[in-house]
Amino acid sequence: MAEESVLTDDLVRQLINVGEVDILVGLPTHNNAKSVGPVVHAIQEGLLKGFPRERVVIVNADGGSRDGTPGLVTGASIDDIRHGYKGYALRTLHSISTRYANNPSARGGLRTILAAAELLRAKACAVVSPESTGMEPEWIPRLLRPVYHDNFDLVTPIYRRHKFEGLLVSNLVYPMTRALYGQRIREPYASEFAFSARLGSHFLAHNPGSYDSDGSGAEMELTMSAITGGFRTYQSFLGTKIHGEREGGDLVPAMRRTVGVLFSSLEANVAAWSSGNGSQPVPTLGSESEVTLEPIRVNRKRLQQMFCAGVAELEPVFRSILSAATLAELQQIASLGEDDFRYPAELWVRTVYEFAASYAKSVMSRDHIIQGLAPLYRGRIFTFLEENRSSSAEEVEKNIESLCIEFERLKPYLLEVWNTKK
Amino acid sequence: MRELIWRELTQAGEEIVREFAHLLPRLIEMLIITLVGWVIAIALKWILRSALRLAKFDKLSENSGASQLLNKAALPSSTELLSRFMFWVAWLGFILLGVSVLGIGGLQAHISRFFLFLPRVFLALFIVFFGMLAASFFSRATLLAAVNANLPSARLLSIAIRTLLIIFVVSMAFEELGLAEQTVLLAFGIAFGAVMLSLAIAFGTGGRDLARQFLEKRLVREEKSEKEDEPSPL
Amino acid sequence: MPARLDTLWYKNAVIYQVHVRAFYDSNGDGIGDFAGLAQKLDYLQELGVDAIWLMPFFPSPLRDDGYDISDYTSVHPNYGTLDDFKKFLAAAHERQIKVIIEMVLNHTSDQHPWFQESRSSRENPRRDWYVWSDTDTRYKGARIIFLDTELSNWAWDPVSKSYYWHRFFSHQPDLNYDNPAVREEMWTLMKFWLELGIDGFRLDAVPYLVEREGTNCENLPETHAIIKELRQKLDHEFPGRMLLAEANQWPADLRPYFGNEDEFHMAFHFPLMPRMFMGVKLEDRKPITEILQQTPEIPPSCQWGLFLRNHDELTLEMVTDIERDYMYDSYARSKAMRLNLGIRRRLAPLLDNDRRRIELMNGMLMSLPGTPVLYYGDEIGMGDNINLGDRNGVRTPMQWNGGWNGGFSAADPESLYTSLLLNPVYGYQAVNVLSQKRSEHSLLSWMQQIIRVRRSTPVFGSGSIEFLYPANHRVLAYVRQLGDETILVVNNLSSSAQAVELDLRRYKGKIPIEMFGRNLFPRVAEAPYLLTLGPYQFYWFRLRRI
Repeated sequence: MAEESVLTDDLVRQLINVGEVDILVGLPTHNNAKSVGPVVHAIQEGLLKGFPRERVVIVNADGGSRDGTPGLVTGASIDDIRHGYKGYALRTLHSISTRYANNPSARGGLRTILAAAELLRAKACAVVSPESTGMEPEWIPRLLRPVYHDNFDLVTPIYRRHKFEGLLVSNLVYPMTRALYGQRIREPYASEFAFSARLGSHFLAHNPGSYDSDGSGAEMELTMSAITGGFRTYQSFLGTKIHGEREGGDLVPAMRRTVGVLFSSLEANVAAWSSGNGSQPVPTLGSESEVTLEPIRVNRKRLQQMFCAGVAELEPVFRSILSAATLAELQQIASLGEDDFRYPAELWVRTVYEFAASYAKSVMSRDHIIQGLAPLYRGRIFTFLEENRSSSAEEVEKNIESLCIEFERLKPYLLEVWNTKK
Repeated sequence: MRELIWRELTQAGEEIVREFAHLLPRLIEMLIITLVGWVIAIALKWILRSALRLAKFDKLSENSGASQLLNKAALPSSTELLSRFMFWVAWLGFILLGVSVLGIGGLQAHISRFFLFLPRVFLALFIVFFGMLAASFFSRATLLAAVNANLPSARLLSIAIRTLLIIFVVSMAFEELGLAEQTVLLAFGIAFGAVMLSLAIAFGTGGRDLARQFLEKRLVREEKSEKEDEPSPL
Repeated sequence: MPARLDTLWYKNAVIYQVHVRAFYDSNGDGIGDFAGLAQKLDYLQELGVDAIWLMPFFPSPLRDDGYDISDYTSVHPNYGTLDDFKKFLAAAHERQIKVIIEMVLNHTSDQHPWFQESRSSRENPRRDWYVWSDTDTRYKGARIIFLDTELSNWAWDPVSKSYYWHRFFSHQPDLNYDNPAVREEMWTLMKFWLELGIDGFRLDAVPYLVEREGTNCENLPETHAIIKELRQKLDHEFPGRMLLAEANQWPADLRPYFGNEDEFHMAFHFPLMPRMFMGVKLEDRKPITEILQQTPEIPPSCQWGLFLRNHDELTLEMVTDIERDYMYDSYARSKAMRLNLGIRRRLAPLLDNDRRRIELMNGMLMSLPGTPVLYYGDEIGMGDNINLGDRNGVRTPMQWNGGWNGGFSAADPESLYTSLLLNPVYGYQAVNVLSQKRSEHSLLSWMQQIIRVRRSTPVFGSGSIEFLYPANHRVLAYVRQLGDETILVVNNLSSSAQAVELDLRRYKGKIPIEMFGRNLFPRVAEAPYLLTLGPYQFYWFRLRRI
């Protein structure tokens, strides 16, 4: 356990005042004054409608906002003094806020929320993103009820998305997690999720330092911890996902937070993922997935071009990471024109697995390995976009499913490259 | 006459024998010290090697890329290297001790001067070694960043960075050794300055638009429409 | 046989001391029995105890409540048959409750066949099994234990016309442990019970096994040698069984009974018990801290047995005269309550039936270093009857409900082995298990809760202890630690509210979490930590770093 406490004296004092709670909703923020207001109201309504008799608290873990975000959160509390709510609230609904650091980090925020949940002995805890302006009150009970009433340990969301959004998740993170750990968790890296006291305490006790250096992959770590620890997982359909700054943005930081954490988890959990075959569906509330089809602008050509440039310029790097056969195939694809270009699923799976094995062996700086995967990912996305240009929702799902089957089928190949020259 | 020569010879012979007898115990001392030093040095080498093995030092050096560098230079693994280094340092130290026991005046001074110079050699080697490591790390980092930012001629950029760093490191090493300091410094300054100047001119005139775009992307955060080019990955 | 052998189970156990005669009568003869005790195992399991210590139940003329044994391998017909005992033992083990029985090694009843043979003639093969003498002047150094009834340690036997040695009552002749046949036979008898499956023995009166001229005949090296021999055989053939010593000695004299982890596993800490009562009466922690400071370190696998009351008088042998007088004046004004240098009252009457004081004493019992031993009936706050002779006042029938015979037996009230308590304060209609079960706030419910909290961590049983000495001497505070788990215990020994400042600088940054309600208290800082306590109140804090 870290020597430095995660909790400031001020937070401890606030926790003493709150006392024991049944449900805790965590809200990690950093300069979110524009969007946090509606989110807090949606949380409140969700709590009061879904859990009218329970003792609840909203804990805002702030990473050094300078735009007054914390004030907006605590200003929305409902107690005997202030009447901010139109409906009827049986109890005081506490809202507390704490600054965990002067710079935001996902790990700092999550740990603060976990520590608060453990000390207040909350049975169920949810974490919500302050940028989800499309959030509906109903999301809160949908996330929390499986934990609070049905004893599940982790609830991950399912969103209504555009078919071309979240491709890193649907083409890499989801299939690989599913193939290795045997659970079909559609959104292992989510900005909204819920967990039980059991899982929270377990994560807090077993993850002092962690998988990635800047702590931004904490959500992924929690999911990994739940899967490898044998906890009960569940999925709830929520609604349309609004993208915040953290989800969009650059590819490489996103890969660090998800793929980096996933690769890191492999080393410590060899026993868990090397055995077992196939995957099990996770109990789900609501539809398995929903896809919207309106056309969006995508610069496909740029993707293909970055792939080819990457394969050419990064050859010395790839030589240390990939097998000669795979590299040759990639070079062959790179030489094709835009019309013939195709990055087949099977090759993609092999690429990913070889990267994972090289990551484990640290053939070079691990961060460089992740960066090296980015141009190849772009090439794969190009193919995915082409193949699904005019697909319907079911067809897209079917294609993702067959990619998953491919990951599962080639799992022995991962074991093979994992075990050579160790 | 013959007696004179004979007497001189015997005297000289006696002198030699006497000197030798004088020297002999110290010679024996020196041999003993050298031998004992050899044993201790071997022991130290063995201890260091075991310690490094236990601490999985090889893995660490592989991680940082040092192993690859050593491999290319046909040197043994880092653990082995460090252990042997320890051995030689220890043994040479004992040899020096032994020689000092001999008490031969001038030899003493020369040897001490040599040993005083040695640390600087080590430091220079040290600088070169880690400098090479840094050069390869940073050149690779530049390569990856450039490729992912879709900059043209990423490979060129990375090689340029590596070359510059190597030149920088070598110059530092030379300076440390105190060899041709001024020449090297001057040459480096001129070369570096020239490269920088030409880059600046090229960048400033030819790459105006590119520069503007680059800076805009980095410093101005509001324009998100460029992001629409790539669908959000998460 | 338990599936997993935990040889240190006694370190974290809570033991319940009970007399089968007094617990529950299943066949309506007015005397409790094993079939009845088996029926009440569910009650004990609910209470949360880990082990039962049974008072002697072997065949006996019952002139010393069963400590005078006339047959070592059977069950007194009053309590049932050996089969009944086996069934009870199996039922206890099914509920994960261990069973510890008494083994009186030092002496037998004069009705035992061995003594009958031994006294019959000087040539009898069993002559040497007891200690005979033609005069009564040997071993003058030995003190008399039952001062109120005996005048000498020698008794005249008219049959063989010689004196025999007895440290206790004259009808309890001491066995001669210098005779190897005696030692062999006693081990065989112990083996008999071990093979049936019992989990441990309380060995009664061990200091007195061997006598030697010119000594006080207590704690002799030969005695220790015998115990080492027994322990060695026990470890070899029955690992995981426990030996508990009854040795009313000063702590320094008790230490040898643990040996080098080759004698007893456990021993009662007699001197602590009266000092706990003294501390509460004096409203000063000094008696308690002093005796624990003087208590020597014991080997890691050994354990102290702590208790507030038991079947005997509250012994004041191990206190100074000033202390004894103070105890008599505070707790036993009436001479009738005093017996043999002790006070023959139960826990609740001693504490004026004050619920807060009873909780405080139990709180200390459960948090000081050692294994707590609860006396049957004290968990519901039973009273006593000092008008019954000897120590029988604290051995009245267990009070189960407010009905016929307090639910103890279906027999005629006049035929019970001893009378029930009838007064309006402690009588069975006022104090009984059934009515206390119905309330969340009864003493019984509270005892269940504190046992549960104690069992939630091994720190109390196995951890170290460090006393804090706050300026307020009415507050007894100490820190228990095991590994990286730290527990702070603060007890207010006074009848009025107190404020105390504790120096907790060593634990700076930790958050105290009160263990019963699990609420957070302000974080420990550099400055002294202020706590306020109501009369006789105590806190247990888990110091948590998060």
